[in-house]
Amino acid sequence: MTELENPLLEGLRLRRRPEPCAVVIFGASGDLTQRKLFPALYALAARRLLPEEFGIVGVARTEQTSKQWAAAMEKAVKAHARDEFDRETWGSIAEGMYYVATDFADDEGQDAVVACLNKLDEERGTAGNRLYYLAVPPAAFRTIVNELGERRGSEGWTRLIVEKPFGHDHASAQELNAALLQHFREDEVFRIDHYLGKETVQNMLALRFANGIFEPIWNRQFIDHVQITVAESLGVEGRAAFYERAGAIRDIFQNHLLQLVALTAMEPPIDFTADSVRNEKVKVLRSLHTPGPKSVVRGQYGRGFIEGEEVPGYREEEGVAPDSTTDTFVAAKLYVDNWRWADTPFYVRAGKRLPRRETTIAIQFQRAPHPPFAEIAGDGLRPNVLLIHVQPDEGVALAIGAKVPGQGMSIRTVHMNFLYGGAFRAGLPEAYERLILDAMLGDATLFTRADEVDEQWSLVDTIVAAWRRDRPVFPNYEAGTWGPRSADELVHRDGRSWRRH
Amino acid sequence: MQEQLDELREHEAATGSPTQRTSVMTHVAWAPPEWVDTARRTLAGLEERHPSRTILLFPEPKKPDAIQTTVSMQCFAMPGVSHDVCSEVIELRLGGERVHAPASIVQPLLIADLPTFLRWRGEPPWGAPELDQLAGVCDRLVIDSSEWSRPKVSYAELARFFDRIAVSDIAWGRGRAWRGRLAELWPGIAKLEKLSVTGPRADALLLAGWLRARLKRDVELVHRSGDELTRVAVDGEAVRPPLGPAPTASDLLSAELDDFGRDPVYEAALRAAAA
Repeated sequence: MTELENPLLEGLRLRRRPEPCAVVIFGASGDLTQRKLFPALYALAARRLLPEEFGIVGVARTEQTSKQWAAAMEKAVKAHARDEFDRETWGSIAEGMYYVATDFADDEGQDAVVACLNKLDEERGTAGNRLYYLAVPPAAFRTIVNELGERRGSEGWTRLIVEKPFGHDHASAQELNAALLQHFREDEVFRIDHYLGKETVQNMLALRFANGIFEPIWNRQFIDHVQITVAESLGVEGRAAFYERAGAIRDIFQNHLLQLVALTAMEPPIDFTADSVRNEKVKVLRSLHTPGPKSVVRGQYGRGFIEGEEVPGYREEEGVAPDSTTDTFVAAKLYVDNWRWADTPFYVRAGKRLPRRETTIAIQFQRAPHPPFAEIAGDGLRPNVLLIHVQPDEGVALAIGAKVPGQGMSIRTVHMNFLYGGAFRAGLPEAYERLILDAMLGDATLFTRADEVDEQWSLVDTIVAAWRRDRPVFPNYEAGTWGPRSADELVHRDGRSWRRH
Repeated sequence: MQEQLDELREHEAATGSPTQRTSVMTHVAWAPPEWVDTARRTLAGLEERHPSRTILLFPEPKKPDAIQTTVSMQCFAMPGVSHDVCSEVIELRLGGERVHAPASIVQPLLIADLPTFLRWRGEPPWGAPELDQLAGVCDRLVIDSSEWSRPKVSYAELARFFDRIAVSDIAWGRGRAWRGRLAELWPGIAKLEKLSVTGPRADALLLAGWLRARLKRDVELVHRSGDELTRVAVDGEAVRPPLGPAPTASDLLSAELDDFGRDPVYEAALRAAAA
């Protein structure tokens, strides 16, 4: 009998719950595991979204016992989880936790991981299903993938979540893909971009495709331009070794920013399955016109003030070379060369030590063609802007012109606000909760496919190649400002300006 | 009332932290005197999850003909949101004859274009004008048949409302996790003869009705009274209980407020329970 024939399931609306499985975290003592992965697993357990037959194996180089590791993770959950700590919930996770201290290349260590998994199959009924999470530096990917491939069992399913950065350039990303596909099928590989797990990013799809009013005007005829900002007020925060090699272009532009462009510009998918959504996104990435040198700006912050406190310049940060030419800011004017978006600029910018943390997508519409009161309305007559706040204060606002009460016809811009946390249940799920659950369920819709990664790197490689030909004068913006002057000029040349709020 | 609400909003704006008024529905609750405290308690756990304009109707037929109103704003800090989110609560004490014309009082207060849920505490007075009127202006009637003294008899009355208004029963919601457990027993459960349930009478009736309707066979119900659903057995064999604590009254009402359309599975279960 199949589930479909079970008459008791009709109308039951059971929550999506994964099959029995074991999660194996490589990099189990690292920051990501403590700050994001365990709090996410705990939140899933608290909502009873984990399978009853479940276990976790942690793998890292740090010497410690399973008991010590479990205690460290309990502490991490208490510090970072969005729910209050509940001993019973934690117990449901902790009783199926094992830790293996090993070098990733060590055969004996990897055999010990397999032994733990077999034990979980026997004790907890995890049925040979494995979700591997590679929360490790990219240099370790290949070793782990080979070890996993060689030890792959014949029972159950195997899935692999790979953290960003996925490669350092197009060539390394392709090599990594080839290594993965030697042992795993594409539908077993889940390349994570945690931005896609954010409710507000997914809400972009709902906003566009579940409402009749937006899609007819979502094109070059009605939209003047799009601005996407991914701003951080933090500096490198102990990630200098990584950041020196990556810069803003690889850390944010190559993945988060280009994914936001793809979601904003994509055509409606035929359905919400993984391949339909990703087919449409990759079409946008393929349509991106390679920007010329004048359409890309890079910057690096110097000393400045953030929230009243003086902060050092990038070159003064610990672990950063005093003559570093790493970009901490990137802005670009992109064009999506297709029927819908021809000649409509997408201005994008991302940077560190900007005045505040915010990620927004601003859709600026064309001005009203002939407002009858243009002369008397004064400066208040501005174009409409649909503002999607990805973080913080998640929600959507529409800027419209409204008459100021009283005599005359003064117009003032006002915001119609939809505040996500206000209209729906308290506490939006963290991106990692959604993404880990989706991977357990085998749903890859919110993960990036190999061809998307390819297209993203192709664009970045071209930009970086142009940068190699010149020597930037860094630092070129003060911490606590919105980037270098050239970023403003990039937009001013077109008679526009960045949103300042 | 509208003026009082406007004043409250101005006051919030002038004195408090930045606030945002948000509503995803109008929530009308009919609470006879014996249900007033319970209704308020449930509401306290609900507003954060379903920001709404809440209209609490307290019928007081023995009091003089009058309407007494109390208007308040309830504001909540939301995690990750810099604004407080505020909802409006309007309490109306309907005295004397006003009890019998609630729709005309409620209608001007409903928020246009948003769904209206009517939570009726206790057993509705079948055939009474207040029930008919409110059912006529609301989109969904939410009841808890475990609050009724003779649920099996009253189910037939409730079934007559199905074509007029979508109905949610909190007793049905309470059994959801157990229904999930019973569904896991398929196909072994296909030939079920006897269902034993320890818990509220209504919950047991609905569980048995559901199995009769879905399995299309007669199922004998053996019921033992209890405040909560604690045990279900199939032909003498205990069913593994659902994980975690039982949902609270606010959780249950909140879950019902997420539903908008009719629930044909519930309707069939209720009819089978009444048969």
